[in-house]
Formats: sequence, C-alpha cells, structure tokens
Amino acid sequence: MNSSNQEKIPVRLKGKGNTLCVTLNPLESSEYLKAELNRLFKELNDPSKNANVTIDTGSANGHEELVLELAKYLKDNFGVASVSKPVKPQNKRSSINEEQIRKRDMERSWHDYQTDVLVLTGRVRSGQKVTARNHLVIMGDVNPGAEVLAGGDIIILGGLLGTAIAGQPENENSIVLALDFRPTQIQIGSYVAAGLPSSPGKITEFAHVENGNIIVENYLEANPFGRIPWPQAR
Amino acid sequence: MEGKTIVITSGKGGVGKTTATASIGAALALQGKRVAVVDMDIGLRNLDVVMGLENRIVFNIVDAVKGKCKLKQAAIKDRRIENLFLIPASQSDNKNALTPEDMIEFSKELRREFDFVLIDCPAGIEQGFENSVAAADEAIVICTPEVSSVRDADRVIGLLYSRSITPKLVVNRIIPQMVENGDMLSHTDMVDVLSIELIGLVEMDDHVVISTNTGIPLIMQKDSKAGGAFRRIAMRINGRVDLPIQIPQTQGGFFKKIRHKLGLSR
Repeated sequence: MNSSNQEKIPVRLKGKGNTLCVTLNPLESSEYLKAELNRLFKELNDPSKNANVTIDTGSANGHEELVLELAKYLKDNFGVASVSKPVKPQNKRSSINEEQIRKRDMERSWHDYQTDVLVLTGRVRSGQKVTARNHLVIMGDVNPGAEVLAGGDIIILGGLLGTAIAGQPENENSIVLALDFRPTQIQIGSYVAAGLPSSPGKITEFAHVENGNIIVENYLEANPFGRIPWPQAR
Repeated sequence: MEGKTIVITSGKGGVGKTTATASIGAALALQGKRVAVVDMDIGLRNLDVVMGLENRIVFNIVDAVKGKCKLKQAAIKDRRIENLFLIPASQSDNKNALTPEDMIEFSKELRREFDFVLIDCPAGIEQGFENSVAAADEAIVICTPEVSSVRDADRVIGLLYSRSITPKLVVNRIIPQMVENGDMLSHTDMVDVLSIELIGLVEMDDHVVISTNTGIPLIMQKDSKAGGAFRRIAMRINGRVDLPIQIPQTQGGFFKKIRHKLGLSR
C-alpha cells in the first residue's frame, strides 16, 4: 500500500464482487479526500446506490475518525448501504492458522462448491450429440459416429469409440477419460487429435494437453491427480 | 385380433432388407398367418421382382393410401404361398407422395386385414424412412458385418428409440470362414456395439441371388442356409421366442471346436 504509485493517486476505487473497495491515503486532508470520492462516485452514477463499500487506509493504523467521517459522507451523498474496513488477513501464528485451513480443506472444502456435472447412463449412438455445460460423466458407451461435448472433463465409464470434445471453449486443463479408450477423435480446448493410434486391448486411458500436444496415457500408471494431497473440487 | 406392423430397416442400402422382408413374409405365411409385405421404396420398387410378382401390379400403395383403389385391389396375392400378399410401391411417384399421417391411417386398415404387416423400408433416414416407421409397432434392423453398416444401423436404432420402438437385430451375410480368420466382424462384436436383442444370424448364401433373379422364394429352396435362417427368424417373430439362434459355422466346425478346446488350434 505504500508503493510510490499509491502515493501519487490518493483515492482509488475498485469493484470486487458485489462490494466497492476504496483505497485512500489517510494523510491527505479530509476535504481533499471527500472531493476525490465525490468525483469517483459521480462517475459511477447509480451502481453505487445500496452498494457495500470498504475503505482501506493501507498499512497506516488509526484514522478511525477519518473513516467514520468519510462513511457518513458517502451514505449521505451517494446512498451506499454500508461502509466498513477491509478484513485483514491475520499474519500472526500462521502455523496454527494454516493447520486450521488444511483441516477445513480436508474435511469440507467442497461443501459450498457448486459445479455442474451431467451424469448420463446408457449408450450414446451414432448421430447423437451430448452437450454438457461443465463436466460430463457417461456410464455406458459412446459409439462410433457419436459426439460428446463438455465445458470441462469428459469421463466415460465404458468404451469411447466416437468423438469427445472437452474443455470448450478454452479450458485446456480438461481431460478425457475412458475405461476402453478407442476414440475417433479427441479435442481439448483448441487442440485436436485425430487419427490416434489404436491401443492394444482394453486399457483405461486418458487424454490431456501437455506442451501444446494432446497426450494419451494409461490412467492408472500416470495417476495424474494422485499427487494432489487432499481432495479438491474440480 | 389386430395384426402387428413390423418395419424392416437398416439405414445403409444393399444389406438385404428386401430379401429379408420377402423371406420372413413368406415364412410367416407358410406358418399359417395372413401376411402383407409392403414395399415403401417408392420410386425404386424391388420387392415385386424379388417375389416374382412384377407383371401383376395394377394398383400400388400410393393409390391405396390416396383412396384411388381399395386395399384389396392393391394387395397382390402370391402365386405359390397361400395368405401372402404384396402391396407394391409406385414406380412413378417419389417418396414425398406420402406423409407419416397417411401411413398411420393406412396401417390401421392393414392391421385389421392381416396378422403380420412387414414394411420394407427404403435406405436412408429421410422421408421414406419417416413414412415407414410412422406406421410400425415393431422394427427389425438388418446389419451386415461391416463397420459402415454397423454405424448406419446404430444411427437408425437411435432414431427408432426416439420413436419409442425397440428394434431387434438380424445380422445378414455372415461368412463364417472370414469371421474365424478374424477378417470379418463377429456377431458378438456387433451386438456389443448395437446392444439390442439379436433375433437371427444369416449366412452368406448364393441361393439368394438365384431366388432374387427367378422370383422363387428363398425359404422354398430346401438346401438354402439363408432360407433356413429366415424361417427360424419368422418362428421367433411368430411367438417361438425361446428358439435358440444358430451360429453359422464352417464345415467341420464341430471338430474345430473340439480341437480349440484341446488347445490344438490357434
């Protein structure tokens, strides 16, 4: 907060989620700060109405009076809903804190995580097209001539003989996994792999993007997610 | 009792739909049922030739559907087989001459007259397919052991499912020698991919060509393997659901099997 850039601009306004963050230099006079706030909030027009605003005075402590004064000014003039100080991350006793975070992550990090996964059972036949917004799980087979498309990963608990298009439009971290991996074509993000060599027998394989190429590997040998120390929402 | 309407389809052309329709129809009639075989390949009719009835056509299905003649006038009685009737396609119209609604109405009439109505569907999935399927209660998908045929059959099965029809599968033109050598898809591979109920395996047979050209029904040729297979398919359709499916095998298949069991062959 004490960067030179910060000092040149005494008041900055930034939207973060549904709150407006005001960063200001508390050493400036309150009149000057009010004038600056006035200018910035006027540019915003309506969106500032009923908004939640945080006022950050940077690393400088104190200045509670100034914050209260500016809060009243904003409420009176621009109809903002609430003004508060930002919640600062606590740096003290970091080891205990980290342990708590880890514990929380391990136990229920995915509890509040919302994700779209389309789970289908049955056979996708030639000429049919399945589209999923995010991840796609098919418990069944994908026949040659069929097309499965997803915004995220494609997981097929069965044979993949058709075309699988994952990570649309540009999620290149997506994978395509099938218990019997014999696709006609694979696309991940903007990468295309056509004419994949046929693998011998029924092996659980997955395709992913590595250095700008689509790589197909034995899933159990590569175990791509085994190195993540605890479960994470994907 | 109302009859059953069964559409015989495949997606791909030239897999033996017309031959299968004629043979299964003849076999059902020989088993004592009143059978109509309907040629829906309007503009490219063939079923009349296969059945040897081409010179007896006066009215056709388009006339019957449009009310230009009565059903009885359009239905041509087979010369050799009692209770077998052909409703020929029109050669001069095109497939848009009929609509699915027409066919639904017409099939009601057919069901009253016959125990079994077999509809020979044209290749493709356009208007002709739509018309044929609209009239049907059940479907038989004919597929040959080729990748292209399997893919088209798969598409057609999907389309039939979307119309609430669960089709049954007939694998046609199996050459046991090639299957044994691994040069041809085996019927188990095909059933794996298509995952529908199998009701018959038909071997490649020279008698089919003779029968098609002479108009003598395939199932009346005693030593025809394909004829035998179609006869058994007809029996399964006619209520003998537990009749086992014979797997076409090369000559000496029995001894080969024993050798295989003993580990003496590859």
